[in-house]
Parts: sequence; C-alpha cells; structure tokens
Amino acid sequence: MTAYVILFTMAAFGIAETSYLIRTRKANKHATCPIGGGCATVLESKYNALFGFHNDILGLAFYLAMALVTALTVIGVEPIGAWTRAATWMVAGALVMSAAFTLIQWRILKAWCFWCLMSAGTVLVMAVTLVL
Amino acid sequence: MTKPSAYHIMRVAMGITFAWIGILIFKEPEFWGGFVQPWAAGLLPVPLKEAMIGTAVLDLAIGLLLLVDAFVWIVALVATLHLGLVITVSGIDSVTVRDIGLLGAAIMLFWEDAPESLKAKFRRFQH
Repeated sequence: MTAYVILFTMAAFGIAETSYLIRTRKANKHATCPIGGGCATVLESKYNALFGFHNDILGLAFYLAMALVTALTVIGVEPIGAWTRAATWMVAGALVMSAAFTLIQWRILKAWCFWCLMSAGTVLVMAVTLVL
Repeated sequence: MTKPSAYHIMRVAMGITFAWIGILIFKEPEFWGGFVQPWAAGLLPVPLKEAMIGTAVLDLAIGLLLLVDAFVWIVALVATLHLGLVITVSGIDSVTVRDIGLLGAAIMLFWEDAPESLKAKFRRFQH
C-alpha cells in the first residue's frame, strides 16, 4: 500500500504543478520561479512542446493517467495486472522524456526551470518506487 | 492577488488527503461506514454503503478541485461543512481526531480564497 500512496501522492503533486503551469501560460503570465531564474527561458523556449502539444498538457495527461491507474489498482478494479503494466510503461516513458528535457536545460538552454526539475524529480521518485 | 506559498502548500496537501481518502472509501465503503454512529446511520435515507460511496465521490471531487486550484473557496466551504458533518456523525476517536486539523485547514483555505465582498459581510458582525 505504501508504494501506491507514494505513486498517488507524486501524481497529485504533478497534477497541481502542471495545472499551475497551464493556467499561467493561458493567462500570458510568467511562472513564479522560487529557485533560480531560468523558468521563463525554459518554458518559453522552442522545446516547450512535443507532437504539437505543450509539455504542461502532456504532463497533466500523464499525471492524471497515473493517478487513475493507481486508484483503480488500490480499489481492486480488474485487470489489476494491466494497470500495473500501464503504470510501468508510462513512468518509463516519462523518465526518458524527463531525462531529455533535463539534458536540454543543462546543455542547450543553459538555464534551469524549477518546475521542470520538480517534475523530473517527481517522475524519478515514481520510477524508484516502481523498481523497489 | 498573489497568494503566499503556504496557502498553495496547504491546498495541495489537502487535495492529496481528500483524493486519497476518497479512493480508500471506494475500496472499503463498509469499513469506513463503521465509523458512523448508529444514531446517524439510522437517519440516512439510503443504505450506509451507498452513502459512503457518495462520500467517496465528494471527497475525490474536493481533492481534484483543490489540486487544480479551481473554485477553491467554494470547495473549501463544502469541505468545511463535510468535515463538520463527519465529526458530528462519527464522534471523536483516535482516527477522527485528525479531522479537527483538516477542518482548521479547510476553514483557512476558505477564508484565504473567499471574495472580499463575502469577507466584508462576515466582518460586519464584529461591529
């Protein structure tokens, strides 16, 4: 149960974070950058979208899906094995994307975005939880 | 007006708590229904299990809306009334005592996000 609590909590963090980023972008405002000052550089760069969708929307979809599959697993809705496999594949994909975006911030943009790093950390905690 | 970080930390923490408790009630509605005092269960117009599933839906909705920062003062007001009802019908024990903290947090979120016009109506009672 502890693993599911961690997965759900991380997904909920992600939902709150990506909702904030979407809301800020729609309002044409700069996101608050609590640590460092590179949020605007990263969030408004040409790397802020993939397959025609903004990364914040893709992130929200991922976190909502993770919250849903975790909830279905905990409630005991069949097929539980399929939910677990779906969670594993989704987290694996998100981990690859997070690593790529972190690399882009480090090597190409040379700016760090607090929200992007927090999301990468959230995905990393999810991955470690699934592995353990 | 920009709200302090503490407000958002509290909002997200409350959102996680409500959403998670909603999932747990969905998993075992009969178990959570066991916290309802017999006198309160007797007043229900629907079977206890159905009432608990309704509670789970309400908790999930409150949690999700708090997480996405939507209609926070209305959601916090509903959460306040809901927690007040929970404490009333379940009594205070080693588990439900934590609802006192949640109740305080819900009142704080309501007050911080309520429109100024509504706050002015409350303040009028002070004079």
